[in-house]
Amino acid sequence: MKNDIPLFLLNTPSSHPPKRGGGKINISYIDKSIESFAGILKESYIQWESASKTGFFHELDTRIKVVFWLFLIVIISLKKELLPELGIFITVFTLVVLSRINLVKFYKKIFLLGFIFGFLISFPSSLNVITHGEVLFPIITLSKPYDFWGYHIPEVIGFTGEGFSVVAMLTLRVLNSLSISFLILYTTPFPEIIKALKVLKVPDTFLIIISLAYKYIFIFARIVVDMHLAKKNRLVSAVKSAEARNWVAGRIAFIFRKTQLKCDDVFKAMVGRGFSGKIKLYQYQKIMGRDWIVGFFLFTLGLLFLWV
Amino acid sequence: MEIFTVEGAYYTYYNKFPAVVDVSLGIRKGEKFAVIGSNGSGKSTILQILAGLLFPSQGKVFFYDYELSEESLKERDFLRSFRERVGFVFQDSDIQLFCPTVMDELLFGPLQLGMEKSEALERVSEIMQMLKIENLRNRPSYMLSGGEKKRVALGSILTMNPEVLLLDEPTSGLDPKTQVFLLELILALNEAGKTIVIATHDLSLVDEFQFKVAVLSEEHRIEKIGNAEEILKDEDLLLSVNLIHEHIHYHGQTAHTHIHSHYLFHKH
Repeated sequence: MKNDIPLFLLNTPSSHPPKRGGGKINISYIDKSIESFAGILKESYIQWESASKTGFFHELDTRIKVVFWLFLIVIISLKKELLPELGIFITVFTLVVLSRINLVKFYKKIFLLGFIFGFLISFPSSLNVITHGEVLFPIITLSKPYDFWGYHIPEVIGFTGEGFSVVAMLTLRVLNSLSISFLILYTTPFPEIIKALKVLKVPDTFLIIISLAYKYIFIFARIVVDMHLAKKNRLVSAVKSAEARNWVAGRIAFIFRKTQLKCDDVFKAMVGRGFSGKIKLYQYQKIMGRDWIVGFFLFTLGLLFLWV
Repeated sequence: MEIFTVEGAYYTYYNKFPAVVDVSLGIRKGEKFAVIGSNGSGKSTILQILAGLLFPSQGKVFFYDYELSEESLKERDFLRSFRERVGFVFQDSDIQLFCPTVMDELLFGPLQLGMEKSEALERVSEIMQMLKIENLRNRPSYMLSGGEKKRVALGSILTMNPEVLLLDEPTSGLDPKTQVFLLELILALNEAGKTIVIATHDLSLVDEFQFKVAVLSEEHRIEKIGNAEEILKDEDLLLSVNLIHEHIHYHGQTAHTHIHSHYLFHKH
């Protein structure tokens, strides 16, 4: 074998010691995007870890949690008064505290998303141009009111009390929907949530498709991260954006091929285990007494909000 | 002269699963070094730390006298001199092969180093001859068998002529003929002066090539560092790290139990 080794491999690659300096290399946006794939994997573990802890809501039967979630989302959308929305907010907050979830981490995400998708989006409706009412804080005074295309621009433009109520209402609705959804995600492993959708009469075939898709997102995210490391290992300088885009395009094609192959393999594995066109999933155990009691209490509370 | 020095390194995946716990080791220039341990003990993570692909959350890693860190590998000159000296062959060849054809794959490294195209082509041709893959020149990587992929993956690193070869489970999933070919090649490269570092749980490899060995426990710590003979004789150590086990089997009609490593301690 030694005689077959090319001469260049017998030479020391560089007689100079490793050098430092030479200026910094900027991390490309593609590198950053791939790093965020690693973030997906990390997030999934954090979700799984947090959902596997013990706590009040963690221990509740997933079917009750899923039905309660749907019930509460409907109530949140139906109610048009601030009081029941505030009540729902306090209820979910209490459940979060009882479930011993880190309040700062939990509400940091919710308030950020609530601010963007609730407050910022609805904020313009606090102006009397959109929501009519008594102007509390005038901002512009025009020489006269204008009417065009069916729109009325009043002489004094400003924030109205009614407008503030609308903004508060919409923001609270978003915050409440996010809090209950995140509470479920923080206290229930994702596969359990998918399985619990059975109570909502979601077909088994659809559930198995969601499970497989969820699983393979992580498998392929890991492959993408590994491919990135393999490439990084062979790069000696920064890569031009065009080259990086080419690489990404090539890798997308590779992932697509790999997906097709995996799809064939999964199908063969299913056939090998008796699959003949109809999927039958494992049925849940009976709901325990404690779960019925907690479920009854939660649904009564929901009805109370609906009635108020 | 130590080419790699690891001092008290820790690495944790997703801030939850420890992969490397308080690992310290030194690898000398021209050495054959094996990191052995059972599945999930952290062998691959240690190799990726040495390759500057992962960075320990605690502790330090040095390449010669230079610290390997995310910051130092952003320095243009250091990145270049490090990557041209250290080649990493992944366990899964699929993720390593990303060019359209085998030829492009082998040319990628030399072209990155700024080599003249004629010289790069000459290198590629010699490597293809050595690895016996000339017939695969224009084939895309997805049309190769497992053994062929492994040869191409190794070739793609060798065309850069690295000083150190980091090989993660180099023989896993290969047929016996390809395994022998690859191992003879690795040995010849070491005799030619390359530093070889492998991660494996195959004790026959360690014995055959008389590596210097670092044994990882299932708690991701280094249990012992020593020469192959010393490590392979220590049955208690190998049992405790799950690299050998007791098993029952039949000789004719008689069943008996003994320590079993799938290679060395299969004594009767």
